[in-house]
Amino acid sequence: MTAARGFRATLFLMGLFVAGAWAASGLFKEGPLRAYLPADNAVEGWAKDGEPQEYEDEDLYTYIDGGAEIYQEYGFRRVILQDYKDPKGKSVSLEIFEMETPAAAFGMFTFKRSGTGKTVSFGGGAELEAYYMNFWKGRFLVTLTGFDEARETIDGLLAVGGVVDSKIRDAGAVPGLVGALPEKGLISGSVKYLKGLLGLNNIYPFYTARGLGFAEAARGVYENGATLLILDYGTADARARAWLDLKAHLAGSDKFTAGTGGSPAVFRVLDGKGQHVAIAGSGPRLLIGISAVKDAAFDIVRRASHLTARPG
Amino acid sequence: MAMKIGRREFFKKSAQAGLALAVGRELAAAGGKPAGAGLAAKAVVVGVGIGADYEKAALKAVELLGGIKKFVPKNARVALLPNVQSRHPGSFTKPEVLRAVIKLCKKAGAKEINCLSWQPVKQWEDTGLKAVIDAEGVGLKLFEKDEALFKAVPVPGGLALTGARILADLYDHDLLINMPITKDHAGNKFTGTMKNLMGLNSPVNNRTFHRPNWKTDPNDVAHLEQSIVDLNKAVKPALNVVDATEFIVTNGPFGPGQLLRPEKVVAGTDRVAVDAYCAGLWGLEPKDIVQIKRASEQGLGEINLDKVVVREENV
Repeated sequence: MTAARGFRATLFLMGLFVAGAWAASGLFKEGPLRAYLPADNAVEGWAKDGEPQEYEDEDLYTYIDGGAEIYQEYGFRRVILQDYKDPKGKSVSLEIFEMETPAAAFGMFTFKRSGTGKTVSFGGGAELEAYYMNFWKGRFLVTLTGFDEARETIDGLLAVGGVVDSKIRDAGAVPGLVGALPEKGLISGSVKYLKGLLGLNNIYPFYTARGLGFAEAARGVYENGATLLILDYGTADARARAWLDLKAHLAGSDKFTAGTGGSPAVFRVLDGKGQHVAIAGSGPRLLIGISAVKDAAFDIVRRASHLTARPG
Repeated sequence: MAMKIGRREFFKKSAQAGLALAVGRELAAAGGKPAGAGLAAKAVVVGVGIGADYEKAALKAVELLGGIKKFVPKNARVALLPNVQSRHPGSFTKPEVLRAVIKLCKKAGAKEINCLSWQPVKQWEDTGLKAVIDAEGVGLKLFEKDEALFKAVPVPGGLALTGARILADLYDHDLLINMPITKDHAGNKFTGTMKNLMGLNSPVNNRTFHRPNWKTDPNDVAHLEQSIVDLNKAVKPALNVVDATEFIVTNGPFGPGQLLRPEKVVAGTDRVAVDAYCAGLWGLEPKDIVQIKRASEQGLGEINLDKVVVREENV
């Protein structure tokens, strides 16, 4: 070995040492979500395309300009984005969102799904749409997007998703409040789990924030067309205060008119679309039925009240 | 050709060209009147090209308005504003629609054509829009998010905004063609011509649109919607060409979401009428979209489509 070659080798080794020390120091920080990314050819023929991108906390606004708030409402920690491609040039984009809790991941999954996609067997629940799929498992929400609807793309998307699914150990549980939705006639894909007003506004607008500071909520649509919303405020006292506030808004709003009939325990209004809205308190929960058919709104509230009645 | 422009490059270029930032051109609302005031006296026309060939659909939409030369004079310097917010299908303006508009501008004899943006070049690459820009040999001017690159512009009749801060380079152009994609938005349910102009306003000024609870508190939501309407009083595109070929109707504005495929390109000068038409494509009532309703009430255009001449034609 000449002196020059020896010097270059020494420099190379020193470089390796410095790089290793830098990585070990934490200054070169790779997020924990990298562990969930499928390696090259973990799915035959599919390799990583480019470097992963990672965003934490408020940085999500950089990645999802105009769409980050709903993740924050549920409780967001971090996301990793990695593209994959196959030799034919097909692409799949993988996003793994780490939420604060399994309930947040489930809620975000229900927010994003259409309810009309194909149910597939991934994690705690998955829905495959024409060119993308969402599934949740533990505190993770996984979104895979193909950039066309070709069979190879969808096969790749499912295979990459399968590897991610196998890497996530904890399953997580569906929030208990979802079980308060009466099962009979419930369209399962319609279930949504909410943590705040933004999610609620995307389902049904009350045109106010008054009285809508619930802790969690669930929504189900029934085969007869009725919608049931269950808002849980944690305690009966909190629910009672919120209900007074919301009722005052509904009574004074030009978006709603007073309804008639039913029982005295059920408050009724008619919204601007001609839908009947029936509302009743039950312990810590507010039960809200919405339907174009007057009796259907009332009936779903009545059915739910039998299920949810418990001391607040 | 993509050009990344910071403060130094911008002022050097402006000085070399001897360009003064234009005030009171058609780009900005002149005379203190809201842009679009007096529209009621004119027939409002919306052109709609329909078909699976999106480039042809876009060409047809403009043709139905009377042709590009009505909007782009010979030797004009044209600024284009497509939407590049996300690369998910149905969330950005299609390259075919951009290609059609560039071709039309060339046909009209435009001297210079530039896409303006403060979004990163990756967005333009991932959406396929940069490939079209490069192939057509027009400009892609990408600006740093530096407040010095934005020009203070008054908002005549502004209710939420007294002033906007618009990319100064816009005023080195003779006209703007606004090119959004219509799509869902988790906050206000709808994105169209009016919201797209936030892509020209400085990110700092855009943040003033968003009060802490801008998507949930009705007062804060109203402030955002009014700010969007006000921004449209400060900047008036010469033409709007909206991609309504295929777009997301859920999980907007970022996606992925369910796609609706009307295969339409919608063109017009009246932003309210164009947005009202687009909202109807996916079952929304224009009067339920606060920005459309308020813009109509404040004289920016016609919300009642019964009073609009809608010319639709298949390609």
